Amino acid sequence: MTVISENKYISPNSVEQAVSAAVEHKGSYRYIAGGTDVMVNKFQGNDTADLLIDLTGIQGLKEILKTDTHIIIGALTTLEELQNQQLLATHFPMLPEAAKSVASPTIRKSATLGGNLLCENRCIFYNQSEWWREAAGRCLKCNGDICLASGGNKYCYSKFVSDIAVVLISLNAEIEIINEHETSVIPLETIYSGDGINPVLLPKTSIIKSIYIPLIDGNRSAFKKLRKRETLDFTSLTTSLTIKNSGSVRIVLGGAHAKPVIVDGSVEDDLEVLFSQVVSNTRIIENDTYSRSYRKDMIRVFLKRSFVELNSKSPYSITGSNEPQK
Amino acid sequence: MQQINLKINNKQYHFLVSAHEMLSHVIREKAGLTGTKIGCEQGSCGACTVLLNNVAVLSCITPAVRCDNAEITTIEALAKDGKLHKLQEKFVEKGAIQCGFCTPGMVMTALSLAPNLNKEAGIDSMKQEIKEGLSGNLCRCTGYTKVIAAVAEYALELNVTRNSDIISENNTNCPKSAVGTPRPYIEAQKKVRGAAEYADDISTRNALHCKFLRSIYPHARIENIDVSEALKLPGVHFISTGIEIPVTFGVLPISQDETAMAVNKVRYIGEIVAAVAADTEEIAVEACSLIKVKYSVLKEFLTIDESLDDAGEDEKIHEYGKFNNNIHKKAELRFGDQQQGLREAEVTTKMSFEFDGINHGFTEPHAATAYWDENGLTITTATQVPHYLHRALAKVMEVPLSRVRVIKPYLGGGFGGKSDPFAHEMIIAHLARKTGRPVRVRLSREEVFLTNHGRHPSKMTVEMGISKDGFLQVLDADIAIDGGAYGSFGVVTSYYNGVLLQAPYKLSNFGFRTYRVYTNKPQCGAMRGHGAVNSRFAVESLIDDLAHKIQMDPCELRMQNFLDSNSLTVGQYRITSNGSRESLQKVMEQSHWKERIGKMEKGKGLGVACGFFISGSALPIIWNELPQSVVHLKLDFDGRVLVTSGSSDIGQGSDTMLAIIVSEVLGLSIDNIFVLGADTLLTPVDFGSYSSRVTFMAGNAAKDAAGNLKKEIIQSIVTKFEINPDELNFHDNRIFTNDKTIDLSWMEAVDILMAKRGAVSVSGKYISPKLGGDFKGAGAGLSPSYSFGAVIAEVDVDTDTGQVKVTNIWGAHDCGKALNPLAVQGQLEGSWHMGLGQAISEQMKYYKGLLFNNNFLEYKIPTSLDTPDIHANIIETIDPEGPFGAKEAGEGAIHPVIPAIANAIYKAVGVRITKLPVNPEDILAMMKLQKTSGGNSK
Ligand SMILES: Cc1cc2nc3c(=O)[nH]c(=O)nc-3n(C[C@H](O)[C@H](O)[C@H](O)COP(=O)(O)OP(=O)(O)OC[C@H]3O[C@@H](n4cnc5c(N)ncnc54)[C@H](O)[C@@H]3O)c2cc1C
Ligand code: FES
Ligand code: FES
Repeated sequence: MTVISENKYISPNSVEQAVSAAVEHKGSYRYIAGGTDVMVNKFQGNDTADLLIDLTGIQGLKEILKTDTHIIIGALTTLEELQNQQLLATHFPMLPEAAKSVASPTIRKSATLGGNLLCENRCIFYNQSEWWREAAGRCLKCNGDICLASGGNKYCYSKFVSDIAVVLISLNAEIEIINEHETSVIPLETIYSGDGINPVLLPKTSIIKSIYIPLIDGNRSAFKKLRKRETLDFTSLTTSLTIKNSGSVRIVLGGAHAKPVIVDGSVEDDLEVLFSQVVSNTRIIENDTYSRSYRKDMIRVFLKRSFVELNSKSPYSITGSNEPQK
Repeated sequence: MQQINLKINNKQYHFLVSAHEMLSHVIREKAGLTGTKIGCEQGSCGACTVLLNNVAVLSCITPAVRCDNAEITTIEALAKDGKLHKLQEKFVEKGAIQCGFCTPGMVMTALSLAPNLNKEAGIDSMKQEIKEGLSGNLCRCTGYTKVIAAVAEYALELNVTRNSDIISENNTNCPKSAVGTPRPYIEAQKKVRGAAEYADDISTRNALHCKFLRSIYPHARIENIDVSEALKLPGVHFISTGIEIPVTFGVLPISQDETAMAVNKVRYIGEIVAAVAADTEEIAVEACSLIKVKYSVLKEFLTIDESLDDAGEDEKIHEYGKFNNNIHKKAELRFGDQQQGLREAEVTTKMSFEFDGINHGFTEPHAATAYWDENGLTITTATQVPHYLHRALAKVMEVPLSRVRVIKPYLGGGFGGKSDPFAHEMIIAHLARKTGRPVRVRLSREEVFLTNHGRHPSKMTVEMGISKDGFLQVLDADIAIDGGAYGSFGVVTSYYNGVLLQAPYKLSNFGFRTYRVYTNKPQCGAMRGHGAVNSRFAVESLIDDLAHKIQMDPCELRMQNFLDSNSLTVGQYRITSNGSRESLQKVMEQSHWKERIGKMEKGKGLGVACGFFISGSALPIIWNELPQSVVHLKLDFDGRVLVTSGSSDIGQGSDTMLAIIVSEVLGLSIDNIFVLGADTLLTPVDFGSYSSRVTFMAGNAAKDAAGNLKKEIIQSIVTKFEINPDELNFHDNRIFTNDKTIDLSWMEAVDILMAKRGAVSVSGKYISPKLGGDFKGAGAGLSPSYSFGAVIAEVDVDTDTGQVKVTNIWGAHDCGKALNPLAVQGQLEGSWHMGLGQAISEQMKYYKGLLFNNNFLEYKIPTSLDTPDIHANIIETIDPEGPFGAKEAGEGAIHPVIPAIANAIYKAVGVRITKLPVNPEDILAMMKLQKTSGGNSK
């Protein structure tokens, strides 16, 4: 508690510099890309890192490339770019759609894909000012003893809110991460812990470099997001459904657990059974504008609609276009 | 601290900034460029938008260090060589600027949006793109309609007028007639340039910053406050607690129940317990966190029902009051016989309703600066009612009225939320006196929500009866409103909930009972449509139900029940002009009601509702014999007329209205008129901007004053030329006889008037006529005139999700005469947008007395994307007593829109809405119920 701030802000030029700054720093630190999530959390006193390591000066993390097997998106690509990318619109139209559903147009000019994947989990008892949280009696996620939303649970189910991660996981995307020990490429879904307090499993020094989306012929996907207003609002429920050429089905949910909820199945499955499985995998609590039961009910509605939509939709083709790449 | 170089608007700056400082802070506080506004500090309102290397960013969440060596463009850079940017011009021209607080952010966003719009795709598609593009910029005033129009027109002309982005300043001079000509606000250019100073933009040298420690308990006794640690902090100048300023205040003389800070006990979470004056805001915040308060918790009362229960003497929220529970006020009025009316009515209906609290959501947070000098106290503050604040400050500071000066700068919206004297105003006045330094305060958005004074959460049961041929027989309402911790306007609100149901329909058996309770929550007060918004919702829903029951078109039913012009209501309101029928007729035509109603597919529906409102309260809040409004005019050798008025322009355009009226009377162009508003030292008393009184009352006073000035001019000319005074015309900056034997320019006339006399000052006033009956409660809702209106809304209900999308709003409002049609449209569009919010998405939600949604992300004001096309119609009935026939347009229009939406939902899916905001979950549940009970009530 000192008035003279010891806060720092640095802007390294390379991933290596950034990682070593993180490793060397004694206090707490936070990577920042667009900062649209971090800075709000700072304002509310939920993020108290004294060192901010700005990643946006790093070159080479903003490209979108197409190889024979993948589309590779740099982690620092802004959501506005994702939204406007013809290449993505052609192959994964759900991706620009999901990007466009995030925050507001101005925010999307700064907000990045990497930041979106690691956007902090949310809860109406947590995303509040310091004063508010004290008045409410701190919850688990801010060093309290119980979950206020559920009225006493010992486990935190703050909402996982990244809309884009939901879509990427349904497309079987992988991420390339770098930390002081290694560079690795892992399935995106493996980084989410399901623990609302520490929702990301990656070593803290890890930087997401890029996202790999496999190009598979004949996929069809649908995306839906529940929220009060048509813009600005975080999700109350995000669903994405991908039906693959092979007949396999992947359902991914956001806003329904502390991590994305993933259910794999096939077009042969009894849909009711599949939906029940999805619902039973969720952990929705009263921490949102919409009630728990409504959010639950909407899962079926959204998925049913998605199936109907996809049955009347032609599959995407990877050979469709060779737009100029960025 | 880090050193950064910024090129802001092409000027190089070097700043020492702290590592986590926001760009908005640097721009406003260090570069002094206050055109960039701060509305939320959390990325959810867009007010702070600037360009960073030509890309729009929200400066409130952009770290300043990130911008090292970057180029920043703020609103101040757009106008060049004294001329507006073309986009700014469009904002001005189209009337896209009301309070103007959102304007800089809106313009900057639009600037980066416009070049990317697809102009070939047709205007509708482009407008949709604009809605999308502006959807992160909240505006509480305009309903976005005019903003979108401005951007669209700019975009379309982008290619056409390539050669110059900047054209000459808009000529806003007076054409033939001032009254009735659409015109931008006189200060629109200043606002669009970012040059208009709002309370937090005014920098006072040496000012200390004030921050508050707020209660974290809803109801608790304060055992001890220990400020010793906080006082040790370097940079702290003074820390004050409640007992230092014990004098009570409140806007109504009968509810003087507030103190500047909690004395002995706290009554809601968020109540101010201590205040710090320090060198910087950061230090003040830090000091607050070092203050230790010991509370002992008292039983809390959080709902209407809890507060109706008996409470022990030491449990009561307020000691005073005659009840042994937490009821603050009971009111009841009855005319005719409701019981008999209900017995005799052929068809009756009874329903219960529940409404959540609503916040004004003005975009400018409260802010103020106070200092003392040889003239006593001067405070510059975001207030709608300088006059009542003047009185309250004198009372609380214990100084004569002559030692207080209240200055109202530009205001970023009010809607009733800046019409009480506020605790923070008392506190900084006190701190400034104690420290001998100016003291400045600005509330965070969270604090604005805690300060509240918004629409009361309400519960009511209303019963109505009708004859089979569709004539209303009876209305009986039982209403309870949740006032929160203090009185505010609550006694008036209580009455308005009931009395304002006696029109616009003829009723002979009419009665209501209403009570207001105290609860341990932030206090409620007046908000646009004061008092009657919720009860109007109930009544219009019931009428819809009755129409359904007797199988009559709800429009026709309303048509045949409207009160006539020049009639009396059952409670003796004098109805003069009345445009109810014309309003309803208009929206029926526009929406193709007759052709469409009952013929729409499931899930889609049209709904109708009507309303009325006072045009200024005929009785003052504080009983005295002052006129309701006085306006002074001064004419000096330079030919300019200075209009001084205590009325507050809060973004609704009242300064412009005064100029128009003076311009009309004197035949003088507006550029020769200068309005000085709301400075209690310089301007004569006007009671303020509430109860939709300004156009009617200050307008009439201005007209009276201008008439008096005209008389003076005529007298001087008559004396000089020996002509008959009746022969003189005032027109187009000239004064002439019909035969033009005398034909003077304005300046020639001024010379004649000034000769051997010098500057001339005249005064004008408005005093409401004696109105109303002489029973107890007769005064509530009395007004010299009433506005009327109707709305038809169209909705699209998703029958799987219960989600409601409002797809069209057709509205018509009888404002008597639109002195400035552009401004009137703006008020109407804004009212309907605000009503849409209450209907669909806005609510104040509490967790054990703690407000959940105290920011613009969770308190859901509709964005441009959530706002349908709004079709505004002005109905003119030329009120016999209004200035040039004008009456109110700022509040009444909100009444019909909310029930119109609900009634449309009923038509769409057969579900009657009895709770606001509309909850998709309830809609689904009720649809299910219908299905199982087999009836489709449609
Ligand atoms: C009003 C408002 C509405 C919003 N609505 C939505 C919404 O609807 N849906 C939604 O998903 N989000 C929403 N957001 C949150 C946020 O804007 C987005 O998630 C955004 O994509 C975050 O990206 P960023 O680059 O700004 O992340 P930052 O704030 O910079 O970072 C977020 C997190 O990611 C980490 N990080 C960022 N980049 C990397 C990297 N390359 N490697 C490792 N770690 C990294 C940071 O350390 C931090 O923990 C909203 C925010 C606001 C203010
Ligand atoms: S002040 Fe920056 S978005 Fe509201
Ligand atoms: S003009 Fe937009 S908020 Fe007032």
